[in-house]
Amino acid sequence: MSARIAVPVFPGTNSEDETARLLRDCGGDAELVHWSRAQSLSSYDAYVLSGGFAYEDRIRAGAIAAHDRIMDYVIEGAQHGKLIFGICNGAQILLEAGLVPGTGPIRRATAAFAKNAPEPHFVCRHVYLRLEIEPSRCAITAALPPWALVPAWAAHAEGRLAASPEHLEQIAAGGHLAFVYAHADGRVDDAAVPNGSALRCAGLVNGAGNVLAIMPHPERDGWNFNHLDRSSDDDVLAPSGGAALFRSFIQAVS
Amino acid sequence: MSLAVSVSLKIPDNTAYTALVALRKLGVEVDRVERSEVFLFDDADAGALVARITADEMIFNPNKHRISVLESAKPSWGEVWIEPISNPERIAVAWRLYNAHGAPVKRPVLEMAIERLLCNPAIDRAVTRDLFDRDNRTEGE
Repeated sequence: MSARIAVPVFPGTNSEDETARLLRDCGGDAELVHWSRAQSLSSYDAYVLSGGFAYEDRIRAGAIAAHDRIMDYVIEGAQHGKLIFGICNGAQILLEAGLVPGTGPIRRATAAFAKNAPEPHFVCRHVYLRLEIEPSRCAITAALPPWALVPAWAAHAEGRLAASPEHLEQIAAGGHLAFVYAHADGRVDDAAVPNGSALRCAGLVNGAGNVLAIMPHPERDGWNFNHLDRSSDDDVLAPSGGAALFRSFIQAVS
Repeated sequence: MSLAVSVSLKIPDNTAYTALVALRKLGVEVDRVERSEVFLFDDADAGALVARITADEMIFNPNKHRISVLESAKPSWGEVWIEPISNPERIAVAWRLYNAHGAPVKRPVLEMAIERLLCNPAIDRAVTRDLFDRDNRTEGE
């Protein structure tokens, strides 16, 4: 029996369909689980928190969702070694829940994906994520090659990693910096960063390597029809580069 | 002298209601939550400033907002101002918490609300009346 993956849906989540679809296209058994069925979450083997505006981002992005009953199950699952993958708003929720970088107590955030800088505006931009850790450091990235480049779309107003200098040091020294923003050729510099993120961070992993939070959307570069650099010869419905991270996730849960 | 202008909703504030529900769920004994945005200005004429804000309708919509100049540019008791750690625009979100008797909550309750929900210390600073008075105490006081 294949592993069952839940894509929890909070009020205000809006990227659940394409996330679940790409998980299925990559061979996963993924289901949407709405907040009213939260109690069923314990029966799943892994969780993917998708993008959107959970609880309308009231108070702060992810602040209310981090205390939702859904997160009781996700936190318990994380503590038992289940794989948790958060994308965009899902990543913000994981930070608010204290699951990543995981350098403080649960539900006490030590970092945040804060308003973009220098301009605090919404950004929609095609980006590349470069894997900065040994692939095996995080179960979800284990099937990627070293220094893998994953294409994705940054679509957020609050994606800038922010933390105190001490916590940024812990993130860097503790191997929590999973992905940084890069150019298509793999070069990393400030021009590749769409939001002023500290450490050029695009994604964080917890200490145990089973919780990954990334801000850009690889599922929006999951098929050739939404890949920026596709050629006219490409099969528009074939998987594109963003699917690689999802395939690695599926391999890890299977 | 600093001037604080408060802009709040006169229609139901869903965010304040969500905060109330979440705080209760987190064990914070609070009966009512009010929220407003506070804009801080230096050396401004209160009447002229309010007239301009009202006329511009950039941060103020007369159909849904009320505007007031605060008596002092610091939080009231039972109130916290949440502001970005880097706050060049000098804007804060003010949360006022009341107990079942309609009085401002005591400091331990407010601190619990700040720690459990209202403030992410990675990006926010929470300014309460105590903190404000301590940080602005003049020498010799």
